[in-house]
Amino acid sequence: MSAEPQGSMTLEEQARVLPTGEREFFLDVHTTDLEVNFGPQHPATHGVMRILMRADGEVITGAQPHLGYLHRCAEKIGENVEWLQYLPYTDRYDYLAAMNNNLGYSMAVEALMPGLELPRRAHMIRTICAELNRIGSHLIAFGTYGLDIGAFTPFFYAFREREWMMALFEKICGARLTYSYIRIGGVFNDAPPGWLEEVGRFCDVFEEKWKEYVDLLVMNQIFVKRTADVGVIPKEMALDFGLTGPMLRGSGVDFDLRRDMPYSLYGEMLKDNAFDVIVGKGEKGTLGDCWDRTYCRVYEMMESIKIVRWCLERIEPGPVLGDIPKVLRIPPGEAYVGIENPRGELGHYVASDGGKVATRVRVRGPSFTNVSVLEDLLPGALIADAIAIIGSTDVVIGETDR
Amino acid sequence: MDGGNVFLTLLQKIAPAGVPSWVLVLSACLIGIGILVGLVSVLVMFAVWLERKVSGHIQCRFGPMYAGGWHGWAQSLADGIKLLAKEDLIPLGADAALFVLAPAIMLAAIFGAMAAMPLAPGVYFANLNLGLFAILAMSSMTTIGVVMAGWASNSKWALYGAMREAAQVVAYEIPLGISLLVPLMVIGTLNLGEASARQAGWFGMHWILFQNPFVLPASILFFTAALAETKRAPFDLPESESELVAGFMTEYSGIRWSFFFLEEYAAMFLMSVVGAVFFFGGFESPFTHIARESFGSDSVAYQVVAGGTLMTKAMFGVFLMMWIRWTLPRVRIDQVMSMGYKYLTPLALLCVLGAGIWEAIFPGATP
Amino acid sequence: MNFDGIHDRLRVIQAPGLLGADLPRAAIPGAKHGESKDAGRGGDAFVLVDPQKIVPFLHVCRDEDRLRFDVLVDLSATDPKAEDPNLWININLLSVERRQRLAIKALLPKADLKMPSSTAIYRAAQWHERECAEMFGITFVGHPDPRHVLLPDDWVGYPLRKDYVFPKEYHGISCE
Repeated sequence: MSAEPQGSMTLEEQARVLPTGEREFFLDVHTTDLEVNFGPQHPATHGVMRILMRADGEVITGAQPHLGYLHRCAEKIGENVEWLQYLPYTDRYDYLAAMNNNLGYSMAVEALMPGLELPRRAHMIRTICAELNRIGSHLIAFGTYGLDIGAFTPFFYAFREREWMMALFEKICGARLTYSYIRIGGVFNDAPPGWLEEVGRFCDVFEEKWKEYVDLLVMNQIFVKRTADVGVIPKEMALDFGLTGPMLRGSGVDFDLRRDMPYSLYGEMLKDNAFDVIVGKGEKGTLGDCWDRTYCRVYEMMESIKIVRWCLERIEPGPVLGDIPKVLRIPPGEAYVGIENPRGELGHYVASDGGKVATRVRVRGPSFTNVSVLEDLLPGALIADAIAIIGSTDVVIGETDR
Repeated sequence: MDGGNVFLTLLQKIAPAGVPSWVLVLSACLIGIGILVGLVSVLVMFAVWLERKVSGHIQCRFGPMYAGGWHGWAQSLADGIKLLAKEDLIPLGADAALFVLAPAIMLAAIFGAMAAMPLAPGVYFANLNLGLFAILAMSSMTTIGVVMAGWASNSKWALYGAMREAAQVVAYEIPLGISLLVPLMVIGTLNLGEASARQAGWFGMHWILFQNPFVLPASILFFTAALAETKRAPFDLPESESELVAGFMTEYSGIRWSFFFLEEYAAMFLMSVVGAVFFFGGFESPFTHIARESFGSDSVAYQVVAGGTLMTKAMFGVFLMMWIRWTLPRVRIDQVMSMGYKYLTPLALLCVLGAGIWEAIFPGATP
Repeated sequence: MNFDGIHDRLRVIQAPGLLGADLPRAAIPGAKHGESKDAGRGGDAFVLVDPQKIVPFLHVCRDEDRLRFDVLVDLSATDPKAEDPNLWININLLSVERRQRLAIKALLPKADLKMPSSTAIYRAAQWHERECAEMFGITFVGHPDPRHVLLPDDWVGYPLRKDYVFPKEYHGISCE
């Protein structure tokens, strides 16, 4: 462990020249990498994810995510409960976007029911709820990302608006987090009187507050310095890893299921040019860095507001639930339906043999694939960057583990 | 300067004849320590409460509202009692002696530094001619406590925190010291009370800040370096709770953990006092001036107004630090290092050069 | 392109391992919705593929000029019945460039649950295959990191199989 130059050689002569042109000194000093157990109890893992990191000082040399701490056998439960009974379980995988999960599962089951016609008002309310929930989910993503970077206050600002959003959901379905509101065949009940007007007011207020977020955090110089050029996912890598949602768009791939494979009312909206797809442009650094992903999420909130407004302008009274029997028997078949969740494509593969219970409910959670990229992305980053990268994947552990 | 101590002087006045002088000195020391510890504890409790209120109001909430009734004023007191009552945990595999010693060293260092702080004109614990020097020396001793805590905890996160603290303090001691050279060149004394007294005049606004154009940039540099020195956001890397769990104090709990907080807030207050004295006039303000003119310079009313002025200035500095903490994200370790070495140090040196030239051309204020 | 177009294209270029299409009821002429329980199934159309030739098949899907399926969205398996001799492998591909989807189905005999790993074609398959392997007991030959992903390393049995027996306890923790 001696740092003295050996023999008559000076330090300069002893140095080895690395391929990068740097010179390495003190070759006889041997240090080992530190193995750090990041999680499952750690403030920046957004749940109970565990990453085994190997670090050379502050630089990470290897990372291995370990999942499964929140595994609740959702897919096995899906094969053991009736079609409608499974709906509350969908709330629990991405608990920040429960409406979207309900929507994905309902649409997958509806794909197996050929005769089912959904009332237009049901579609409208579904879209409003899904987009409001997207805003809420992105607010959490944005707020906790600020928290990861070390800015506390944006988190509370985000929660202030999310609180209103949750109050709106409480008014329409009585629950604040796990809604089970969007049902197979429509939605559970009609919006209470005055609810749609309040959603309109929410949109107005949110537009004002949203500017605060951008000024306070997204364009903050320290924030930009911390996130630009960090955790760069090139376009090819994003596609190879099967990333979807803001992770994919942050890498500059212009793809959004709502626009490119429209479902529900989105096709109609496209004719009106009701919303745009936000794609990362590499404005502050390299294309596909953490800042681009955050940019996509934050600006997407405004697009969701546009969609909600579009619906509010066109919604008309009517029934909200199609003709659904009390005990569902789904005709035999198998279908895969993917919808655009806040975190990417939420896919449900459902198979039925004609009975009351599903043969298979496969859930393709976007967070699961988004987390898999960490294995390749973390080595070479600093510990502080690792937090920024993990935060920018916006992982919800309930969904990776299901 | 009389090298004595107010408590000693007081004791000598009231003590009956025949008491040996060492008894008097010892009693004076104990009284001084008692008052200092009590005062600092109250200050820190107030600062913690203030931090929670400030952060609350910045974040659209109220902060503590219940304990004690009026705006939760007793919250820190209640927390302190809770922390005292908590189980004292020393993790398995930790170096118990160092683990226990680390918070004690930090406290001792910060109290030692605070002893050189004047409370009001003529009221001080230790009237040192090298007051500023003592403060800087003692307060940088707290780093040893942090490194000890990090090493003794037997936790990797704590070790990371300790290493960061060591690197950061070394990087920021330099600009901190150099930026303080600028007002020192203007005022010409290291004694805090004396430095403040020399800023009297101009109706109480003869602050060092207005005597030399290079003092303003130096004050900004000082403030930045002081943020890093006291481990406050955006330089709270040794603690950085979203990265290192809680950095060097990950394994601490109960009253030992609260000692770290005591140290942090005391250091914030101390740095603000130093900044207030050497940049912003110390005791001096128009109110101090009026009080001095109306009541005389050895009246209690003048001392109260002067002490209150310094306290207000220091508390404003503390408030500024809190404001920044709840607004800005945290910087990264390499950014902290490069900022300290590549920007703050050269800029501080430039300020010293400029101030020196200015003083050579206009040798005005220095007596 | 719709499913028929993709299927035709795959046939024209003679994609390796392509066995045919698994069409839903709606695609079969003469069958009416809900007319009879045995008139086929509902839902999506699938391409049937030989599981042992999945790697060259996916390779064609990714690189062929008119298909360009650049994202593997999902890879999972289904156990239709305990007495069924086969497991279904369900793969979903997505083309970001051409805005189209392709659902692939492969029948893997339960007697020999081995198939090649597609990780080399799509990196996304790595974690999906790990999950699939631990849940169904499929061995993906050539998988670079065949550890469990969701279940504990010492988990016994393959939970998503229909013949799975629920354990009574796990490391002394009662599961009843």
